[in-house]
Amino acid sequence: MKSMLTRLLACAVLLFIGGWTHAADGNEILKRVDRNLEPESYEMFRKLINIEPDGTKKEFVLYSVKKGRDKIVALFLAPPSDKGRATLRLGDNMWLYIPNVGKPVRITSLQSVIGGVFNNADILRIDYTAEYNAEGVTEEKDAHVLALKARTGEVAYDRLKMWVDRKLILPVKIEAYAASGMLIKTLHFKDIQDFGGGIRRPATVETDSPLYKGYKSVMLYSQLKKRELPDEVFTLNYLPRVEDLRK
Amino acid sequence: MRRLWFVCWVLLAAMPARGAETYSFDATEFQKKPYELNGYVEFRYDRFRLNNSGAQYQLNNYLAPRVNLERTTALFKPSGKMRSGDFTLNARAHVEFQHDTVDSARTGRFDELYASYKPQPGFTLDAGKTALKWGKGYAWNPVGFVERLKDPNDPELAREGFTALSADFIRNFDGLLQTVAFTPVLLPARSHLNGDFGQPGHNNVAAKLYLLYRDTDIDFMFLSKGSRTRRVGVDFSRNVTSNLEVHGEWARVEDVQRRVTDAAGNVTASVANAHSYLLGVRYLTEREATLIAEYYRNGGGYGDSELRGFYQLADSAYRQFLATGVTAPLQRTQNLSQSGYGRPNAGRNYFYLRASQKEPFDILYFTPSVTLIANLNDRSVSVAPEMLYTGITNVELRLRTFFLSGSNYTEFGEKQNRRRLELMVRLYF
Repeated sequence: MKSMLTRLLACAVLLFIGGWTHAADGNEILKRVDRNLEPESYEMFRKLINIEPDGTKKEFVLYSVKKGRDKIVALFLAPPSDKGRATLRLGDNMWLYIPNVGKPVRITSLQSVIGGVFNNADILRIDYTAEYNAEGVTEEKDAHVLALKARTGEVAYDRLKMWVDRKLILPVKIEAYAASGMLIKTLHFKDIQDFGGGIRRPATVETDSPLYKGYKSVMLYSQLKKRELPDEVFTLNYLPRVEDLRK
Repeated sequence: MRRLWFVCWVLLAAMPARGAETYSFDATEFQKKPYELNGYVEFRYDRFRLNNSGAQYQLNNYLAPRVNLERTTALFKPSGKMRSGDFTLNARAHVEFQHDTVDSARTGRFDELYASYKPQPGFTLDAGKTALKWGKGYAWNPVGFVERLKDPNDPELAREGFTALSADFIRNFDGLLQTVAFTPVLLPARSHLNGDFGQPGHNNVAAKLYLLYRDTDIDFMFLSKGSRTRRVGVDFSRNVTSNLEVHGEWARVEDVQRRVTDAAGNVTASVANAHSYLLGVRYLTEREATLIAEYYRNGGGYGDSELRGFYQLADSAYRQFLATGVTAPLQRTQNLSQSGYGRPNAGRNYFYLRASQKEPFDILYFTPSVTLIANLNDRSVSVAPEMLYTGITNVELRLRTFFLSGSNYTEFGEKQNRRRLELMVRLYF
């Protein structure tokens, strides 16, 4: 009986260590995914295209700067109806500045300032490691599949399932789930390009959602490069002046 | 024929298959330019169903009674920037043509025209006409000490600024106190400059101190005694959960002058400090409906009996005019209206609720909403359903109606109109 108990205990310890190692590996992969996608501090331009089932498109162009793991600001450059809008994210805090309103107001990560499939959390994405913890890794032929769980209840998607290219350590596909287990959206990473400065990553992210059947959103990246900025840029008072950062 | 088939085959093969569309984006065309011009043109049609028994109607229309009023408005709001090194010249103009059943009017002005000096992100100096917006409230801002009154029916409308010299200092820290920002303002008031800010002949000093502390926005504001009486205030805003935000404002305004009339026209003048405050929430439901609810205590406002006294006075002045043709009592009542009773939301306790649903029935860019403003003292209300569509690039379409209701001698029961229909088209460039 005693040896039986000892064996069971040993199995439990091994399983625990195995699980912990897996999670640790997962977080290590996730950390590499973050840095392969973007430098920790950068500037970039993005075009967001919302495509309706009949093919009608609406496009937005954003300029973004990020610092550290959880500070990011995005400025709308087009279309003219949205030009000058700016959004700021500091960890779980988000604000929106609309030129007509003239002052920033707090918004939530699940809202969408542009409508369509993308929400604020997609536009103001911070490092995956800042928001998610890897609970496990399974292996497929060409990919690691990470099971990610949100670190807090403030995060837009409770769980992510991320397929990571085994050679490039870049995401290929991400499924985003609500706390209820419902699939909210799927992101497909495509078109790997060299952005210079050692940055080689997908230049296109296509998103579809079972909540918006037939609709699709596409995010295109351009001029992504490393840039260091002072902390004062990532403040409420600076939000109306973000466009000054563009060179 | 075979050659034709071959050409067709090559063309078809060259066409990208549906669903495999490729996209490209080059940001070169979005580089910053030294000059910038954008803005919008707005066309609006309003039809008012007038409230013939309302005090505000009687005071404004006693010489030319009518049932309906139609108004068309064309508004041009261009804004531009000119950059040179650390300097920027900013301008936002307002050109409006309005024609209604009674009259036509033209307005032309700069809402903002100011120069900015920005040598580094932590410091900015602005000089000129600029619209400062203080406070966290959506419909009202009791701490908006250096700005023009907000219209709760259109809280997001751009407003005209005042000419001022202001600076902005920002510092960031590690720890619980993440940001400190200080905004001092010097606002001179002369008969020809900021003449409508208050009593001329004063150099008014105001300031705002902003803190981001423990993920909470906190502001402290003050305005020195000068053109307006001295006032201090504080506001806050915080995300409690990922879908719930709470905010509030509190303001103390010293030496508020109030003229209160009774139904017989006996006016009592008093001076006292007024405390106003606002508490509000913004909540996003699972079905992506946004609710904004606010309670506003207007410390300098009129109580139920004070408003009733004014409306009874207006009613009796109008009856006297109908019986005798004498206009003097109506004109006296009009003067009282201009000294406070005629302000939008002149009462003391209000509740505001706005519920909007993002893209219902999978209709992208379509947002229906309804806004309710209630005077909690006299239980009169304004309800405004609205439909907004932004699906056409650079075009905004809005259809809105207002239904005002309340018994006799209540705020919304005595307004100039009972119903209003508004159609608006806005074209951005």
